[in-house]
Amino acid sequence: MTVPGRRSRLLGLVLALLVLLALLVLSVMIGSTAIAPSVVWDALVHPSSDIDQFSIRDFRLPRTIVGLVVGMALGVSGALIQALTRNLLADPGILGVHAGASFAVTVAVGVLGVRDPQGYMWFAFAGALVVTLMVLALGSTRQGSSAVVVVLAGVCVAAVLGGAREALQLTDPDAFDAMRSWNAGSIVARPLDVVWPILPFFAVALVLSFAVAGPLNAMALGDDLAVAQGVHLGRTRVLAIIALTLLAGGATAIAGPIVLVGLMVPHVARWIVGPHQRWIFAYSALLGPSLLLASDILGRVVMHPGEIPVGIVTAFVGAPVLIALARRNKASGL
Amino acid sequence: MTMNPLRRRGVALAATLLSATFVLTACGDDGEDSESAAAKTSTTAPVAPKTRTVKADNGSIEIPGDPQRVATIGNTTLPFLDVGGEPIGLTAESDSTVALLPEDQQARYAAATNLAPSADEVDMEKLASLKPDLILAQIPDAEFEKIEEQLQAIAPTVFWGLDTEWKPFADAIAEASNTTDALSAQKTGFADKIAKLQETYRETIDGTSFVDISRWESSDPGTFAIADIGCSEIARDEVGMDFPEAAEGEDPLAYTALPFEQLGDLSKYDVITYPVDAEGQPTEPFAAVVETNTWKALPAVKAGRALGVFCPGNNSYGPVLQYLDSLDRALASLPAEE
Repeated sequence: MTVPGRRSRLLGLVLALLVLLALLVLSVMIGSTAIAPSVVWDALVHPSSDIDQFSIRDFRLPRTIVGLVVGMALGVSGALIQALTRNLLADPGILGVHAGASFAVTVAVGVLGVRDPQGYMWFAFAGALVVTLMVLALGSTRQGSSAVVVVLAGVCVAAVLGGAREALQLTDPDAFDAMRSWNAGSIVARPLDVVWPILPFFAVALVLSFAVAGPLNAMALGDDLAVAQGVHLGRTRVLAIIALTLLAGGATAIAGPIVLVGLMVPHVARWIVGPHQRWIFAYSALLGPSLLLASDILGRVVMHPGEIPVGIVTAFVGAPVLIALARRNKASGL
Repeated sequence: MTMNPLRRRGVALAATLLSATFVLTACGDDGEDSESAAAKTSTTAPVAPKTRTVKADNGSIEIPGDPQRVATIGNTTLPFLDVGGEPIGLTAESDSTVALLPEDQQARYAAATNLAPSADEVDMEKLASLKPDLILAQIPDAEFEKIEEQLQAIAPTVFWGLDTEWKPFADAIAEASNTTDALSAQKTGFADKIAKLQETYRETIDGTSFVDISRWESSDPGTFAIADIGCSEIARDEVGMDFPEAAEGEDPLAYTALPFEQLGDLSKYDVITYPVDAEGQPTEPFAAVVETNTWKALPAVKAGRALGVFCPGNNSYGPVLQYLDSLDRALASLPAEE
């Protein structure tokens, strides 16, 4: 595979940005109700109490912003976990992020009676963070933390929490009903005033991600070579795990478990730019929301007058695309 | 005729023994004996036959003439309570549903043994230990097929599929449980109420387009539905109100979750009805709709022509009558069209 030069990567990044901007516009323009472009424009620039304008400002605009933020977080967190574990099949779920968030939401809904997504979003965030810390603790040995042991601990904790969650849901079918939409992965009806507080966590996580991109490049060559280049393995791993936990935990809290974005987007980014983490992170930050928004737009129109949750569309759209790309390209190295 | 003390004591003794025999007989749990005793001691009251045969979706079932120990599974619980039934065992209803029942029905519900949290996981051992003489069931056909033999082994089981219309269903429940007297009174009240609504609001109803919208606890966030089944179906079919309904052969409109951005499409209706609780406040799931700016901007809402209607249930006459009372009050409050 030919690795593109810096100019090509930059050009590709601009192109990815333009695609994302186009999808942002389409996400506000297209919905299950036909609204004229002029009304959309007026809704944003000349707000009035017109019913269609309310639909734009209250429903389409928030879900577009949520799609942007969640897609970005999922894309970068997926790139981080794949770089950290040097595993092309890794996604944030293997650290227990989804399991922790889902279990916390199940407890909130089934035991504490929280029914409002805005209420159990914080439980999801806390659950993701606590479980990831637990996984880190379990995966740490006297010799330090090993990526393999951490991943194994993550898989085991996720299995235990998954069983506990299933048990809780079986005893309380009403709770299962209330969680169905969250489990499917959706960016609908997530008010922005609940999303804003999570943004500072995302900002910190993005800064950390780009800070560890260089050391992760070195670690891709092997721990010994990385140490020889002056990389502090333990610190890099901890910072990377903090970053991906904040990103994936926050995204899962907002939208529920949407798995394929974190898995697929870094692959696509790697095929475009080669094994350079900083570029992979930058591309993932743009391609993640693009995939999510494109899937969401499709989900609004394909089953008119109803909609399909974005998590389901992402799986249907993403999986064939990933397979097609994999068949056309050699699997990208880390 | 005069009696000496010895003879009087003998008559008293015989009467006491006879009374004790009747009491002991009545206390026994053998239906045949008690029916025989009742038949012997009563010459005027109609006597239920020893057994009867009723037709249901699982065929012709022979059941006791006057069942005394009835267990209810699935959707049969509420209609049975509604006609005064006292189930010995039942499958649980949701807390929110039970909270809507009248107090006496709540008491009878609480007195029954809970057989399962949902209709598809009946505890057969517990059911058998209750020694029911009749089991009433309305659950999905596939679920019933799996447990039919077990149920029939415990007691005669009468089953109806989910597609049974509510009025024939109420009739069938009352017939099987021998509670037709209570049902007759309810049916009379229902006919009177329908006639009153048609007469009182004929001018309002004619030429007015209505739409009933709803959200349930299981609704996905950010979605609502046009409720063309349930209570508004009764208003449409019985009262003659112009509520939308699905095309022939299509799924009910209520099965499609519509995103909130389609709330604006409700502008084309003259009157909107929506679910409220017994106190007249929007139900908890529906409150999310009322809070949206789109809802507040709808012409019907701004004109005071969005009517909260209380619908505690729609598969027996009691809750339907409560709905019709609420609809009556709502229509009475409707401002004249400008």
